[in-house]
Amino acid sequence: MQVNSIAAPESSKPKFSELLAHPDVKARWEKVRKYFFLRESTYDMSNRCNIRCDGCYYYEGEKQFAREVGDVEAWRELMKSEKARGITYVVLAGAEPSLVPELLEVCYQTMPLGSIATNGFKKIPESVGYKLHISVWGNDETSLRIRKAKNLLKKQIENYENDPRAVFVYTFTRDNIDEVKEVTEELVAHNCRLTFNVFSAPVGYTGNLRHDDESLGRTRQSMIELLNQYPRHVLFSVYNAVAHTHPKGLHDLYSCSYPRQNPSQDIGLGRSFRQYRTDLNWDRSVACCVPDTDCVDCRHYAAGSAVVTARLYRHANSLAAFKSWLDYVDTYLAVWVMGYEKGENLCNEIIEPPQAAIS
Amino acid sequence: MPASQDIQGIIRRVAEIIIDELKLEDVTAETFSPDMDLVDELGIDSMDLATIALVLQDEYRVTIDEDDYPKLKTIRLISEYIKDKLPVRH
Repeated sequence: MQVNSIAAPESSKPKFSELLAHPDVKARWEKVRKYFFLRESTYDMSNRCNIRCDGCYYYEGEKQFAREVGDVEAWRELMKSEKARGITYVVLAGAEPSLVPELLEVCYQTMPLGSIATNGFKKIPESVGYKLHISVWGNDETSLRIRKAKNLLKKQIENYENDPRAVFVYTFTRDNIDEVKEVTEELVAHNCRLTFNVFSAPVGYTGNLRHDDESLGRTRQSMIELLNQYPRHVLFSVYNAVAHTHPKGLHDLYSCSYPRQNPSQDIGLGRSFRQYRTDLNWDRSVACCVPDTDCVDCRHYAAGSAVVTARLYRHANSLAAFKSWLDYVDTYLAVWVMGYEKGENLCNEIIEPPQAAIS
Repeated sequence: MPASQDIQGIIRRVAEIIIDELKLEDVTAETFSPDMDLVDELGIDSMDLATIALVLQDEYRVTIDEDDYPKLKTIRLISEYIKDKLPVRH
């Protein structure tokens, strides 16, 4: 597959109106821009988990020691105040949200758009109408070794087969790349939809899951092969694969806009994003979507969903780059927003990220 | 070429573009205060601003640097930014 650079000189950049003159581009732009109102923050719901995974970001740093607030009224008030300051989308995470279903209900009643990051072991009630991101780290043999959980994939599928909320998130580590094919086949056989994540090492992590350039290359190849093979079930695009398997991490490529790396509080995530711990406090200096990840190694799907999406301007410098960006945003919305259906990808070429050559 | 490149003309055109792009219904180019804080008072976000910047670039053929977005908080500030970038007429 040919690699194209999009570092177009200023004089050769198309006008924005010229990009939108293409009917397929215009239609996709109008489809995705309806969701520009989304303003996210994230919330740790519980400091407990029913499994323990090697490389888990939650059990790194200080947040794991925060007091757990289980009072539903306190959470209701938090959601109301979040809504009042302009938050329109919540990401409920760490350690395992399914252990506190009463809190999930309260959040959903107040804030109807959101998603939950879960290991899928315990089913979340259907009355909670958020997207559910079910983490998959390999086949059952690997899950037993890395996550100390028996028959995890089987249990996840039992819980969420044919559930429109569910998106299975396969995290590529350095040692599970060859398992993705069998896991994808299993998920597709049960009509489950999936997307891809790339293991991003927590700060200080010294284990074997951290990627190197060779494993990132193989990961990219596997992602694209499976995307081509199962386009209805794999929610992804070629540009997603490029952005998340590039030798440079997301921060180097796109300048992370979360507060932890972005001192500006003028506009965007630097202004509105907060990452609440289980004690309902937050700390700007560590606030990002996956706290305690090593920023240099961050290729996390959640980070990219905000960081790549925010770089509209940089991708409007060629038709292929803009199509790639639209594919990325379309994928992001299909993975994160209930009821949003992904369209056919517009660009199947490998396009280098705009800043890759100069950052 | 835009109809007018004096500051009042630019202010009016920027207001029209913002109204059009954000589909604002309760304001016109005449009633839109050029000093309203677009972030604090209107609630626009970085994606809205990026969209407006791209449309303004087309209209005035100037480059609006991504790093300058935080400065562009009102219609007047956007208009002055554009005016400063336009070629000087003799």
